[in-house]
Amino acid sequence: MKNAGEAALEKVELSGKRSTPIKSMLGRRETGIVVPALLLFVFFSLFSDSFLTQYNMFNISRNLSFYIFIALGQAVVIAIGGMNLSVGAIGGLSTIAVGHILVNMGLPGSVAITVGLLTGITAGFLNGIIITKLKLNPFIVTLSTSFLFTGLVYGISKGYPYTDIPKSFTYVGRKSFLGFPIVFWMLIIILFALYYLYRHTVLGRRLLATGGNENAARLSGINTDRMIILANVLSGFFASMTGVLYVSRMGSAQPATGQNWMVTSFAVAIIGGTSLDGGIISSIGLFAGGVIMVLIKNGLILMEANVYFEQAFLGMIILFTVSLDSIKDLLKVLKNRNSED
Amino acid sequence: MLILKNITKTFPGTKALDDVCLSFQNGEIHALLGENGAGKSTLINIICGIYPNYEGTVILDDKVLKLRSYQDALETGISIVNQEIQTIPDSTVAENIMLDKLERFQKWGRLNWKELNNKALEYIKMVHLDLEPGVKVGPLSTAQKQLIQIAKALASETPVLLLDEPTSALTEHETATLFTLLRELREKGKNLIFVSHKLDEIFALCDKVSVIRDGRWIGTDKIQNLDREGIIKMMIGRETSDEYLGVLEPDRDTVVLEVKDLFLKNKVNHTSFQLKKGEILGFYGLVGSGRTELAKVLIGEDRYQSGEVFVNGEKVIIRSMSEALKKYGIGYVSENRKEEGLILDFSVETNIGLTIWDKIRGKISRKISRTKEDKIVLPLIDRLKIKIASPQQEVSSLSGGNQQKVSIGKWLAADCDILIVDEPTIGVDIGAKEYIHDLIWDLAKNKGKSIILISSDLPEMLKLSRRIMVFQNQNIMGTLDDLTGEPKNNDEVSLKIGGLMI
Repeated sequence: MKNAGEAALEKVELSGKRSTPIKSMLGRRETGIVVPALLLFVFFSLFSDSFLTQYNMFNISRNLSFYIFIALGQAVVIAIGGMNLSVGAIGGLSTIAVGHILVNMGLPGSVAITVGLLTGITAGFLNGIIITKLKLNPFIVTLSTSFLFTGLVYGISKGYPYTDIPKSFTYVGRKSFLGFPIVFWMLIIILFALYYLYRHTVLGRRLLATGGNENAARLSGINTDRMIILANVLSGFFASMTGVLYVSRMGSAQPATGQNWMVTSFAVAIIGGTSLDGGIISSIGLFAGGVIMVLIKNGLILMEANVYFEQAFLGMIILFTVSLDSIKDLLKVLKNRNSED
Repeated sequence: MLILKNITKTFPGTKALDDVCLSFQNGEIHALLGENGAGKSTLINIICGIYPNYEGTVILDDKVLKLRSYQDALETGISIVNQEIQTIPDSTVAENIMLDKLERFQKWGRLNWKELNNKALEYIKMVHLDLEPGVKVGPLSTAQKQLIQIAKALASETPVLLLDEPTSALTEHETATLFTLLRELREKGKNLIFVSHKLDEIFALCDKVSVIRDGRWIGTDKIQNLDREGIIKMMIGRETSDEYLGVLEPDRDTVVLEVKDLFLKNKVNHTSFQLKKGEILGFYGLVGSGRTELAKVLIGEDRYQSGEVFVNGEKVIIRSMSEALKKYGIGYVSENRKEEGLILDFSVETNIGLTIWDKIRGKISRKISRTKEDKIVLPLIDRLKIKIASPQQEVSSLSGGNQQKVSIGKWLAADCDILIVDEPTIGVDIGAKEYIHDLIWDLAKNKGKSIILISSDLPEMLKLSRRIMVFQNQNIMGTLDDLTGEPKNNDEVSLKIGGLMI
């Protein structure tokens, strides 16, 4: 039996699936997103003088970080086969929690951050518990809770922003380290952590297995309810983290924070190769998705294009990425048909 | 007459069909046989227009067919009854039967329900269903849904009718009714192509048999000229081994699992039994008779309302599959590998490794050790003879037999003491089936594992189990103890089981 095992091991090496990194890289899903992101980058560097300036790069990398933070809140739940329509509302709620604690209660920043993050974690937990224990569709659950959270935002803030944020609180959101914004370094660390989680740990593999086929995963001894709750907690955490960072960046806590996150979160997550069927998430893909998003917004301004059309471009790109596989299949069929006739 | 001339079909990397020539006469029931992966499904899909690209020609009544879709096939005169149930639960029986021709019952943009129901009723009667055309399909039994699918194909009134394992969900009685109907259709001159794994059915019904193997045509002959062994030999290219596996000696004093008076409304009706160490206990009965329902309660998927469960003499409450596996070493091979057994888009290695990640992860890094995973999974792939190019291959690209092996392999990796196998050879070819039987036998006989075998395949049951519980309508009708498993006694045991199931 042992010999048979060794023989099988040898076979793996012969088939080469693991031994040639370049080939496996080309075959990967993310490549389809990384290449256009690079091309866009080169395009704007060549055709716009102000693109490669230090000021613009700083701006781009900071916006990029925020887009991806928003997308993470969506991607972690899409990967388990769910969704979270309340990412923006959770972000808004954390923003207001931070503002309320810093300004109205005058407590230190550490308390504000802790409460801000706990708000998101609790909100995500609530979503997860309702979805699993009441066996409800995540669409309807998070749609409902998004109203609930948004209502709390306006109830607590009465629609007014909290503007007297201590200057020390804006350090992380505004300052840089080694030429890049601190938030960008945070992004890199988080993406690495997620890569490790989903690629190498039992927990990550179980999250993906749940997204791949919830029934099969449960009947293989995976506590799928726990996985779904956990993914929603993670989603709430990322949403609230983004909310806290927004306060730090703006120097004020705006009740409107998060209102436009839902579309952004889906756009970057999907362009970044997160499978809407669940089971697939990629750090590299998300990064490239964020790059594409930020370059379109930034590039259009630099090119002095009519920025009012921005959303139309985004819509087209999302449609294009999600239909990429279908287009490939269609082309194949057409090719076969032509060669046959 | 339907003629296939030099049909070759290649998929990336494989030749699914290689120069196949076949002809199907009107007024004949022609059996198409082959193992899983032999090319049967590919051939059927070509005849039905689902694969529009292939080499060679398909000729129906002197006309060369160029089908682009199943819709084309229907219009040309070819229809199919699928193996998988594809009814629409929220539509009525009549709608389901007439789904592809609803526009015929339209008047002034409005559906004429009365006419639709009347027409559908004709076909409902034809398949001996006792149903109103206006009821919804959702709550009906699997057998009823299958009969609705057959009625739907009949309603197309096509000269060519393909039946792909139409009896897999039917009782003996319903099967007999269906066969009478098919014989009537044969008298009317229809061209019937029948696909089944059950050789008894082939002998009872068909006029001619054609066998394909590894994408090639092996032979066609009249049924009178063939016998069981001959057909099997054509299908797998060798003789089957002796059906008798020998004596099983369970440890009769060690009860690993005991159930006392278990009850769950409409699913489990006051059931009690004991499972001994090293035993293969059979749960025999039809789909929906309460076998799978009992298994799902045992693994914690459903909660029982009253009764007691003991594992190794200790009273337990199992709340989920995860508890069943981790605390009590119970595994469950699902009857439905596509929906409950496998993550189709994931690799073979991941699917088999699913149950063992806990045991092979680093303490601090929490990282799954790839080398440890390989050490457990790769020998299993080898031992199960799963045909793959690499362990990283997606499960969805495998044939049914190989998929089932992966689904079982997951539980071999977990090394469970108690294994519940639910229809382990459903939709699996003869070669793989025999292999799975040997595997289950080996687990009980040589590894001391205790197995509950759920099956509606009687020969399989008789071959493996030495104690059989017979299920019907959520009740245990009786238990047959101390079976020898010798083929010469099989007829007698079958009769006894039949007697219990009246």
